Amino acid sequence: MREITFAEAVNEAQRFAMRENPEVILFGENVSSGWRAATKGLKEEFGRERVRDAPITETAFIGAGVGAAVVGMRPIVELMLVDFGLVAMDQILNQMAKTTYMTGGNVNVPMVLRAIYGAGGGNAATHSESLYGIYAHMPGMKVAVPATPYDAKGLLLTAIRDSNPVVFFEHRLLYSARGPVPEEPYTVPFGVANLVREGRDVTVVAVGKMVQEAVKAADELKGKVSVEVLDPRTLVPLDEEAILRSLQKTGRLVVVDEDYERCGFSAEVAAVAAEKGFRSLKAPVARVANPNVPIPFNRGLERYVLPDAEKIVRAIRSVVK
Amino acid sequence: MKLIKAQRLDLYRDMVRIRTFENGVRQLTSEGKIGHVSLSGGGEAVAAAVSAHLSAGDQIGSTHRPLGHLVAKGCSLKHMLAEIAGKATGTNRGKGGAYHIFCPEVGALGANGIVGGSVPMCAGYALANQLRANGKVAVSYFGEGASNQGGVQETLNLAACWKLPLVFVCENSSPVVQTMLGHEIDYPQLSIEDVSLRALAYGMPGSSHPGWDVEEVYTVVGEAVKRARDGEGPTLLEFKVHRVEGEESQHCPIRCYRERLMNEGVLTEKLDQEIRDQEAAAVKEAVDFAVGSPEPELVDAYRGIFAEGS
Repeated sequence: MREITFAEAVNEAQRFAMRENPEVILFGENVSSGWRAATKGLKEEFGRERVRDAPITETAFIGAGVGAAVVGMRPIVELMLVDFGLVAMDQILNQMAKTTYMTGGNVNVPMVLRAIYGAGGGNAATHSESLYGIYAHMPGMKVAVPATPYDAKGLLLTAIRDSNPVVFFEHRLLYSARGPVPEEPYTVPFGVANLVREGRDVTVVAVGKMVQEAVKAADELKGKVSVEVLDPRTLVPLDEEAILRSLQKTGRLVVVDEDYERCGFSAEVAAVAAEKGFRSLKAPVARVANPNVPIPFNRGLERYVLPDAEKIVRAIRSVVK
Repeated sequence: MKLIKAQRLDLYRDMVRIRTFENGVRQLTSEGKIGHVSLSGGGEAVAAAVSAHLSAGDQIGSTHRPLGHLVAKGCSLKHMLAEIAGKATGTNRGKGGAYHIFCPEVGALGANGIVGGSVPMCAGYALANQLRANGKVAVSYFGEGASNQGGVQETLNLAACWKLPLVFVCENSSPVVQTMLGHEIDYPQLSIEDVSLRALAYGMPGSSHPGWDVEEVYTVVGEAVKRARDGEGPTLLEFKVHRVEGEESQHCPIRCYRERLMNEGVLTEKLDQEIRDQEAAAVKEAVDFAVGSPEPELVDAYRGIFAEGS
C-alpha cells in the first residue's frame, strides 16, 4: 500500500468529506495557506468561501463553528494549537459540548474541532500541551487521538460524519510520520481499540504519539517481557472492554499518557481497571504521564518530565518483577 | 418605513403579549411554583420591532433575559412556560430552563446562560446563511454588560471581516446611571456613553436609539436587516432601555405606543381591552399547560448527552 504522512492523511479525509458533502466547511487561522500540510490545496479545490481564514480570535471562530453546526452545517474548525483553545473555553465547554443536552435534543452540534497538540519540540507550556483530558472530562464531546496516518484518515472521516461535537487531536510531531493509507475513503469507528502489539505479561495502554513510545519499549524488552500494546484511539467513547479483555490475559497494566497525570486519561484507565478488572490485577497499576508539571522550555527539562520509551520500560519492569 | 394600521396593531399586540407572558411568569414565581426568572420589562419594543422584520428562517441568539425575544420570535407560550417550570413538555424537555430555551422551528437559537455566550454562535448562523445564499439573516441580542465581553468584541470583528448577514442588537438597560444586576456600581463598566460607538472600531455602521419607541426601532432595524440581506454586512444597533414593571413610566414602550395609537385613532379603549383579554387568555392557557404537565422521568437525566442514534 502507498505510504503518506499523517498530515496528508488528515488532508485527504477533509478533501473527501468536502467533496462528499457541500455543507462541510473548514475554517481557522491560516487554513488557506500552502505551508500547512493538513489543509494544503483545500482552498484551491473548494474555494475561499468554504475554506476560510479566521482572525486570531478563537472564541469568535469556534463559536461560529458551533452556530453553523446548530443550523445543520458540518464545520471543521482548526485550532492551530490546542493550548490556544483555552481562550475559548466558554464556546467549547459551555456551548459546543452542552447545547445538545441542554436543548433536550432540539438541536445537534455536528462539528469537528481539530486540535494540534503535543510536546517534544521545545516550545514551552503554552505551545506543547495535550489537554485531551479536559475535553474527555466534560460531557458532550467525543475525543479522538489518532496514533497513525491510517487512523488519522479513518477517524477523521468518522468524526466529520458524526452528529456530535468531536475534538480531534493531531500530534505536531506525528505530522511527518509516514504510514500505509489506502487511497479510497474509509472510516475507523469510534470506541474500538487497536491492538497494536500482542503480548502476555503486561498491557500498555497509550494514545497518540505515546503509542510509538510504547512500541519502542515493547521492542526493547523483547525476549524478556511479552508486552501487549493497546491503543484505544478514542477517549470518548472509551473501549473499556478491550482494556479489560487484555488485562484478563496479562494481569498487569501500565498507562502511558502525554497529558497531565492528575484526574486525566491515565487516571480514568486505572479507575476502569480498579472498578471492573480488579480480580485480573496481579500488580498495582503503573502510570507514565506528565507529572503535573507545566512543560518546560529547556529541552533537557522537557525530556525529563515527558513520558518516553525509557520511562515506560522502567514502569513495565516495576509491575512485572 | 411606513407602517400600515395592521402592522402597527401587530407591534402593539406583540408588546402586550410579551408583557402579559412575563407577568404570568412573575406571578408563578411569587406563588413559589417556579424559581426566579430574569424578566425583560421595558424591552418589549425592541423584541417586537426586530422580529417584525424576521421570518421563521431567520435566526436570533438571545441572552439570560430572553423571554421577550422568544415570544416575539414566535416560540410557543405553552412549551416555553413548561420549560420554565422544568416540565417534560418544555421546549428543552426540562433540561435547560428559561436561560436556555431553544425553539429551532421558529429560528430562536436560543437563550443563553452565559453573558455574551450566544453572540459568537450567531456568527455561525449568519455564516451558514451566507454559504447557503438563502437570504436569511441572524440577529444577535446582548446587553451593555455583555458588550464588553471578549467574545462579543471578537464577533463584531469576525462579522465585519467575513461580511456576515448579522445584526447586532445591544439593549443598554443602564441608560442613565450604570448598573449591574439592577444595582448601581462603583466603577463604570462602560468607558463610553454609547455602545454603538464601538461599531466604528470594527468598520461597520452603528447607531443608538431610544428603545421605548417601537416605530423608531422598527425603522432602524429594517435598514440594518436590509443591509444584511443585501450582502453588505453587519450593523451594530444600540437601544436604550429602561427596566419597568408596570405602565406608569414615560419609558414604558407599551404606554408610549398606546398613547400614540390612541391619539392617532388607530387604537380604541375597546380594541385595547380586546387585545389584552386575548393575550391574557393565551397566557392563562400556557400557565395551565405548564402547571398540569408531568415532570420528566428520572431516567431522562441520562438521555440526550449525545445526538439521538449515535
